[in-house]
Amino acid sequence: MVNVTEKLKDAKEKINSLDFDAHWYRRVFHSFGASFLLYYLLPDVDWINILKLWVPPLIIVFVVILEILRLRGKISSNHFFGLRMYEKKRIGSYVFFAIAIVILLRFFPQQIAIPCILCATLGDPVIGEIRKRFSNNYVYIFGFFICMYFFIITWFKSDFLLIIIVSIVGGFGAIVGETKKFWWLDDDFMIQMIPACLLLIIWISIPYLGLSYPGEIIYPSIFPW
Amino acid sequence: MKYMKKQFYFTKAIRTEILFTPLLIGLPLIVGFSFIYEWYTRGILQGSSAFNGELILGIIIIIGNIAFDMPFIKSLRVLTKKK
Repeated sequence: MVNVTEKLKDAKEKINSLDFDAHWYRRVFHSFGASFLLYYLLPDVDWINILKLWVPPLIIVFVVILEILRLRGKISSNHFFGLRMYEKKRIGSYVFFAIAIVILLRFFPQQIAIPCILCATLGDPVIGEIRKRFSNNYVYIFGFFICMYFFIITWFKSDFLLIIIVSIVGGFGAIVGETKKFWWLDDDFMIQMIPACLLLIIWISIPYLGLSYPGEIIYPSIFPW
Repeated sequence: MKYMKKQFYFTKAIRTEILFTPLLIGLPLIVGFSFIYEWYTRGILQGSSAFNGELILGIIIIIGNIAFDMPFIKSLRVLTKKK
């Protein structure tokens, strides 16, 4: 009898530890996304440009096919580690995460794309940790400043006024994207796309504000690969 | 937050996780150091401040990833010991 109780206790502990583990796995998966910034460092060579053009959409196609197969039950959800309960019958957040990154890399200037990707890859897990340990009020305050920080350090080459405008608007957009939850649209998409769309408006307005466009943050590598 | 859990899910999922671990931990660090290397070779050695962006991003990527890698590896080690 004691043995059974102990075994049950042990099993329960193991399941609890899985909770903890999945939690950190998701955090690491998020921060791993920052690796996609390598896109901008790749040399400006014909064959690499072709790869840059085709590989990101192909990744999206692969991820979408994988997700369709999972939702149709062809691939078991058990193979997808760290999947949340509400994602069982909904498109997984990793699909939204990947789609938003590809949209940013392909269609937005890098001055907009880089801080937005950093907000999702590093800002989001930090905000998640704050939410886990403190109250929601701290999430809004600290989350805003964390995201604001990413915009300040990536727009350091621009005019001071532009840095202030961009960091406030970007930080606000990111925190709205992170806190606003929809069942059909994940916050991993929103935290990237809301600040990106807001910044695009600012980007278009820069000449009308009498300011100059900031220089590129990352220059393509020149190594003969 | 609730994660999906099933009895047989445990070992299968952990295997997936362990398989991905080197990539999840290694690639961001390689990318981060590539940025810093780029800043060093084109910025420091050629005396140009235009490449400071690479340095900043390299540091952010490395620090940001290490901050989450440490507790992740720790949790993985605890789990391995329990198994």
